[in-house]
Amino acid sequence: MASPATPADRGLPGAMPGRSRLVPWLLAAPLLVGLAVFALYPFLDILALSLSKSSLGRPFQHWPILANFLSLARSEEFHAALLRTTIFAVPVSLAELVLGLGIALLLHSSLREARWVHSLILLPLMTPPMMVAVAWKLILAPVGGLLNGVLLGWGLADSPVSFLGTMPAAFLSIAVADTWQWTPFIAILAYAALQVLPDEVFEAARVDGASPAKMFWYVTLPMLAPTLLAIFLLRVVMAFKLFDLVYGLTFGGPGFSTTVASFKIWRTALQEFDVGLAASQTLVFAVLVSLVTLPITWLHRRSEEWAG
Amino acid sequence: MSLFGHAGRRRRIGPWSGLAAVAMVAFFALPIAYLVSVSFKTPDQVLTGHFLPDAPTLYNWGETFRVIPLVRFLVNSLAVACFSAALTLAIALPATYAMIRLKVGGRFLPAFILATYVAPPVVALIPLFMLLRWLGLLNTVAGLVLVNAVANLPVAFWLLSGFLRRLPPEIDEAAWMDGAGHATVICRIIAPMLTPGLVATGLICGILAYDEFLLASAFSNDEGSRTLPVAIALFQGERLINFGQMAVASLTGIVPVYLIGLFAQRFLIGGLTAGSIKG
Repeated sequence: MASPATPADRGLPGAMPGRSRLVPWLLAAPLLVGLAVFALYPFLDILALSLSKSSLGRPFQHWPILANFLSLARSEEFHAALLRTTIFAVPVSLAELVLGLGIALLLHSSLREARWVHSLILLPLMTPPMMVAVAWKLILAPVGGLLNGVLLGWGLADSPVSFLGTMPAAFLSIAVADTWQWTPFIAILAYAALQVLPDEVFEAARVDGASPAKMFWYVTLPMLAPTLLAIFLLRVVMAFKLFDLVYGLTFGGPGFSTTVASFKIWRTALQEFDVGLAASQTLVFAVLVSLVTLPITWLHRRSEEWAG
Repeated sequence: MSLFGHAGRRRRIGPWSGLAAVAMVAFFALPIAYLVSVSFKTPDQVLTGHFLPDAPTLYNWGETFRVIPLVRFLVNSLAVACFSAALTLAIALPATYAMIRLKVGGRFLPAFILATYVAPPVVALIPLFMLLRWLGLLNTVAGLVLVNAVANLPVAFWLLSGFLRRLPPEIDEAAWMDGAGHATVICRIIAPMLTPGLVATGLICGILAYDEFLLASAFSNDEGSRTLPVAIALFQGERLINFGQMAVASLTGIVPVYLIGLFAQRFLIGGLTAGSIKG
């Protein structure tokens, strides 16, 4: 046992039950089985599939070992999808982090009493992503869309703009919808972090005559840094999973210009039925996600050290 | 008293803060407000692109429920959300206790569980499809319950371990002294004291299951087991121009989660912040 103070170690009667290691493992067993089904089995299966020629109906037809990976190495379409996902995940998460922090500061300084605002910003977070896509589609539609109605009505556009059918507007539209959905998440977490900052530090800085801007840069931000980096890491991981908004808003188009990795893999597996190739795409994608998130994990650890 | 649990005096709002606050409220309210507005518009009124309907009508509301089995889909979604959240909690609570308090798996296992969350769900799509087909659970609500329950385990573990760490370990030790077994400690002591945490975790896992689209679209292909997000995605593909009905179908799916958001806000915020803020 890790803690030396448990009654069992002190040899008391009726001490900690199940001195055998079996019972604790039994308590964890259902979760371990679940993990094996949802993580370990898919990983091994994907590994095997990636080395085989497989369709959805007939897996493991033959084993051309590296053929899938070689075809991926040559596939510019797949490289573009990976790059697109990264270009989406990192900057959009960063924008959401900045906006979310801004909202948290606003709530903290001016809107503490406005309960209804707190309720309001919780709503985007809870809206199912497919419904988020529908809501934004109604706003962005060329005919009957609110935005085009406003642009045409105010004479800012001569003819309806196809926001979801042209680049880069389609990509930006997905980014805006994603920002709408996830900025509140960051705002709530950052707000909670602001609440627990020690008041004494701010008092000291105020006594020293620090301006609000200086206070933010030299006091608030450094103290929040570990939390903000943890939130950023979580958001980047989630942004790499982007699928629903692409499916609902653009279906990967126009052309393939909003086809992110998850969507590409989904198409390969469930539209083209090349499960072997989809499996190898999945593995390469998983490596990319790890590579991108590693530096953020490292930064987070460093910031925790700085913050003590 | 604010729901965020502070007690401070009201401050004056400066012009820039006021402007920012208005912009923020408008941005977050707009899409939902427009959705509501469009649901009361006839197809002709939709074409104008005005914000408010010129002559509000309930036509879409009656028609959509007549044309597609929305109630069926809603019931499926709610069933998947409730049963999978319950199953997630039933699996995650004893396991979290075993890992946090009894140190099962040392430091490796908790880290490994969180690491599995990094993998995009599309990774598990093909293997789980084959597994469900083998089990005969494709196109069933039970299959979706199972998949979502397992998929949300890392999230549940993360949240519950945040709540559990705040309980002093002396409590379990006192119970052990009285001769209580692990099962008794979990059911009679930990579970009652963790109630807010369990409610928050259950709600968040339920909402995640309710919102889930990718796996549900791959594993259910008939109306008997179809969930609302999948139905709406299909509906959108079939009837592109019918904005009013699309708005009605979407709002029907949104209302249940918004009610939870309004009435269980305290639990939700407690849950969202449990894992990230060390208090």
